[in-house]
Amino acid sequence: MLVKIVMELEDVPGQLLKALEPISRFGGNIQSIMHQRERKTPLGRVPVMLVFEISDKARMNKILNELRTMGVRITQLGEREGAVRSTVLLVGHIVHTDIMGTIDRLNGIRGVMVSDLSLAMGAPNKESAARMTITAGDEKRLRLAISTLRRAAGRKKLLMITSLEETE
Amino acid sequence: MRIILIGFGNLGKGLARIFVDKADFLRKTYGLVPHVVAVADERGAAMDENGLNLSKLLKVAEKKSVAAYEGGKRGKMALEVIEDMEADVVYELTPTNIKNGEPGFTHIKRAMLTGKHVITSNKGPLVVAFGELDSLARKCGVEFRYSASVGGAIPVINLARRLLAGNEIREVCGVLNGTTNYILTRMSTEGVPFEIVLREAQELGIAEKDPTLDIRGIDTACKITILANSILGIDAKLEHVKVTGIDRISSEAIRLAREAGQTIKLVGVARRGSLEVGPRLVPFGHPLAVGGTLNAVKFELDLAREITITGFGAGPQETSSSLLGDLIDIHRTLGG
Ligand SMILES: NC(=O)c1ccc[n+]([C@@H]2O[C@H](COP(=O)([O-])OP(=O)(O)OC[C@H]3O[C@@H](n4cnc5c(N)ncnc54)[C@H](OP(=O)(O)O)[C@@H]3O)[C@@H](O)[C@H]2O)c1
Repeated sequence: MLVKIVMELEDVPGQLLKALEPISRFGGNIQSIMHQRERKTPLGRVPVMLVFEISDKARMNKILNELRTMGVRITQLGEREGAVRSTVLLVGHIVHTDIMGTIDRLNGIRGVMVSDLSLAMGAPNKESAARMTITAGDEKRLRLAISTLRRAAGRKKLLMITSLEETE
Repeated sequence: MRIILIGFGNLGKGLARIFVDKADFLRKTYGLVPHVVAVADERGAAMDENGLNLSKLLKVAEKKSVAAYEGGKRGKMALEVIEDMEADVVYELTPTNIKNGEPGFTHIKRAMLTGKHVITSNKGPLVVAFGELDSLARKCGVEFRYSASVGGAIPVINLARRLLAGNEIREVCGVLNGTTNYILTRMSTEGVPFEIVLREAQELGIAEKDPTLDIRGIDTACKITILANSILGIDAKLEHVKVTGIDRISSEAIRLAREAGQTIKLVGVARRGSLEVGPRLVPFGHPLAVGGTLNAVKFELDLAREITITGFGAGPQETSSSLLGDLIDIHRTLGG
């Protein structure tokens, strides 16, 4: 998901770098940074607008908590819709069990899209593996997509490996 | 303190060695003098009211049963030893049996009923009858400690029950099996297929000859069951844990994970309403992404939020840390 925040930093060198550290530490991918010097606060703090991409809400919250603990004031927070995602691995006879059909079914859920697929074929008669990234409009839809995929994997006797953050 | 050791394999011997090596330290620091008055293995027992000479016993047990120790008795059953000998503490260190918990289950019950404190590393009795043993200990007024049963050297249970006592524990999850973690780590760093790494692990003595319980995730499920009972207060049995092993994890799967910045770990999760064990994607750099035979356990807590500890989950010396810690703790609790 994409997160946009506006935070107030003291106008001394090194502040921005310090504030960016927790974002990268928790796996955030910084997309843009904009100083809003013209909007300096009465106490001399400079608002900085920051956009970053992060895999899930739990991590976003960790970043925000960390920033607050550091004493950074966050004045605005917005999550952009349409960008929660989760990576899933499948192991089994993936091609023979119609992976495309499964993908069509997931894509058929409103607000859900299989945005990435990598296949690794096993040796003849061995199982293959696939990595799939599912992108959804919000957490609820992502959950629905994952449980749909879980049921399909069960029917097709595929081993499904979800991310640690994913709970059943 | 008068001590009986039941089981003199890796852990029994390891602990005896530590008693010898740390005798001065234990006496000076805690005023604790461990007198091992009896040791039993499957073939017989060595006994001495005045305390066995552990260095001698270790020498004897290199090749033979402890029954070959001076005055020892071949065929003397552990159960009789527990009944016959006066002692403060019984260490139950026999093999894990997840079907009915035996012989450990009976040993532990008998020790409690004869008024002896019990320290064990044996998961069998705990997964079969945690509640029963816990209440029997209370009824008999004895201490019951099993730190070594989960996480080897890592103080998982005591950390949760004591130092984190003010927290509500929402979830505990972890990498709890060194063998499978070694296999997955080697597969990930070297790209070697599962069967080859497994063979290598067996040659190194990291995996057992029959590695089924580890590979299929059952060992991890045992530990999740014990954690659910002991720190979450859930009356759980092994069969309540949903288990998937790592036997289907291929090098291809691991490579695909790695390309996305993730590694595959066998993770056990215990939370109210859900006990599960299975392979999971864990980002590199995550506290549970530990390598080699290491274990790691992560608590989710209402106050402290998150705490993770890492360490060695097995090995005689490492596990002695927990076994000895339990003894010192009992010694202190009783004001010895
Ligand atoms: N090894 C570790 O690092 C580790 C770590 C944590 C927990 N554990 C658990 O701790 C326990 C002991 O592990 P270990 O590695 O020491 O096992 P081990 O090397 O197999 O030793 C088991 C010992 O128990 C004895 N034994 C078997 N049946 C008995 C009976 N009916 N009565 C009396 N003694 C009996 C065996 O006797 P014989 O010598 O006559 O065969 C042997 O001395 C297991 O439950 C294991 O799962 C081990």
